[in-house]
Amino acid sequence: MASLSLQGIQKIYPNGFHAVKDFNLEIEDKEFIIFVGPSGCGKSTTLRMVAGLEDISGGTLKIDGKVMNDVEPKDRDIAMVFQNYALYPHMTVYDNMAFGLKLRKVPKDEIDKKVREAARILDLEKLLDRKPKALSGGQRQRVAMGRAIVRNPKVFLMDEPLSNLDAKLRVQMRIEISKLHENLGATIIYVTHDQTEAMTLGTRIVVMKDGVVQQVDTPQNLYNTPCNLFVAGFIGSPQMNFMDAVCKVKGNDVTLTVGEHVLKVPASKRKALIDGGYDGKTVVIGIRPEDVHDSEAFISNSPDSVITSTIKVYELLGAEVFLYFDVEGTQMTARVNPRTTLRTGDKAVFALDMEKIHVFDKETELTITN
Amino acid sequence: MDYTSELDRALSELKRITGVAVSVKADTPEETELALSQIRCLCAAYKEKYNKADFLKSLMTEGIPSYDVGDRAARLHIDPEEKRVLFLLEARTIDDTLTEILKNLFPSRSKTYLVPMSENRIAVLRPLKSGETADSMRQIARTIVDTLNMEALTHVQLSYSSVIDTLAELSSAFRETSLALQVGKLFYSEQTVFPYNELGIGRLIYQLPVSICERFLEEIFGKEIPEAFDDETTATINRFFQNNLNIAETSRQLHMHRNTLIYRLEQIQKRTGLDLRTFEDAMTFKIATMVINYLHTERNQ
Repeated sequence: MASLSLQGIQKIYPNGFHAVKDFNLEIEDKEFIIFVGPSGCGKSTTLRMVAGLEDISGGTLKIDGKVMNDVEPKDRDIAMVFQNYALYPHMTVYDNMAFGLKLRKVPKDEIDKKVREAARILDLEKLLDRKPKALSGGQRQRVAMGRAIVRNPKVFLMDEPLSNLDAKLRVQMRIEISKLHENLGATIIYVTHDQTEAMTLGTRIVVMKDGVVQQVDTPQNLYNTPCNLFVAGFIGSPQMNFMDAVCKVKGNDVTLTVGEHVLKVPASKRKALIDGGYDGKTVVIGIRPEDVHDSEAFISNSPDSVITSTIKVYELLGAEVFLYFDVEGTQMTARVNPRTTLRTGDKAVFALDMEKIHVFDKETELTITN
Repeated sequence: MDYTSELDRALSELKRITGVAVSVKADTPEETELALSQIRCLCAAYKEKYNKADFLKSLMTEGIPSYDVGDRAARLHIDPEEKRVLFLLEARTIDDTLTEILKNLFPSRSKTYLVPMSENRIAVLRPLKSGETADSMRQIARTIVDTLNMEALTHVQLSYSSVIDTLAELSSAFRETSLALQVGKLFYSEQTVFPYNELGIGRLIYQLPVSICERFLEEIFGKEIPEAFDDETTATINRFFQNNLNIAETSRQLHMHRNTLIYRLEQIQKRTGLDLRTFEDAMTFKIATMVINYLHTERNQ
């Protein structure tokens, strides 16, 4: 397997469209890297540049220390699994997996060894004689993976490989891919727009927007310490709640005022607001739905972070309840215990866990407190 | 003209396609010329009669009279009345690997035809199955591109036509796909699939004569037509357009103060005379930049 280095990578198309801007990333051997972001953010383009399917307009791409900018895709020692894969309908699973190797004139016994090994890893041994028609969606997906595995590449590149599967199968295949990464010890770059997929699969995640890398970090760090409003809103489901608030500094005390609600900022977050000169300025508060509490014990222990509202929607999901309500015209979500007594139309009191709040600069949208 | 070497070439072509070796004895240049013409006719007739790909290629590029299409198609066991869609694929080279993958992707050779058009283009004529819609065609197009990316490890771009009802319409379908590929590569180069019916304003500009384009640009910018804007200006303009000329939203997304954005827009106005904050000027600017790109490519070609 291999390490990759992307230094100042740029992609400008002949029509002037600047798809990727100054992309820098060092990928360690055996890492599972996820590129995530909304449609059109440049994640697939970056992957295709690594694959050699798109020319690199600027910057340097290295695989195992060797510059790859002008190396043909077939000589980069990579394998790809894309969203719209097709199995050859008239071939068996074995032949589907062997086909790419046959085209490259690999000796028969070597092909046989590689196909059987890949089938073993993917638990396809008993299906080798079947035609694609006789396979389930998940099995077909595994065959597509198998076609990549038999190449024994240095790097696997996957572009939304699960997007065409139904939700249940996607969850199942996520686990399979995670196991595959462990079994193969492979370096994998995986593109998705689905933040849940990103969070569950990646060792590190690259969040992209408009061709620009927003943050590169572990799933946990992205969730706990997003660097800007975009990352904070993109990672997490339901997404983080945001409210505009006016920051007021009085001596060592800092408060954030949202309409009639005055929230006291804990000591751990005061310094950044004071030093940043945010007194009197409007900032954006971010708080995750699970950090908005409705339990009496929490509310009585947090008198300086209480907000009141009327429940607009009550949504029971079995193990948890989502409560939707408005605060000063902004919709908020609370993720609470299903034993809650609150229902649609009820007047409700919540307390925010102020240790968990994120504060962002309203102009630059960058984090102040993380 | 050296008819002897031409004749040798024609004879080896005849042998290549029919397997029949023919020798010709000609004493005068006139006899050689006559023999050459007859051998060429024989080659063409053989190709037409027995080679579906050649027949379809002729149908696409040379145009065969519509009254003749049915008979000739029937001789080759091609249903002339079937509904079909034409896909036109371009790669760096259409090599054996790529052709082999396509053959296996569409194994039913009596229904789907692969027609090599040039060194870097191949056409796929595929029947429309019952229940298939425009979305199915898009899906098939993407599947072709992704499969070739994965298996042949090569960059490909592909266009596809509207649905044709008879083979007689194949020639116009080919014109559609060729146009879509040209326009797509020129105006939407970041994409890989170009449906014929989604070319937008690019289709209009592409069909304008260069002189009219130049006159249009001169009318807008005067004698000094801007070659290109710097990356930052281009990004600013693109984002401003994407946000429907909304200054607040654009400045928020670009992490810049609204006054900075306004300043930049005013700089563009100074340079071009177009106030991008108004719809009419924004539209003119958008079209003008597409025309500039078009002319730039035309000149490079």
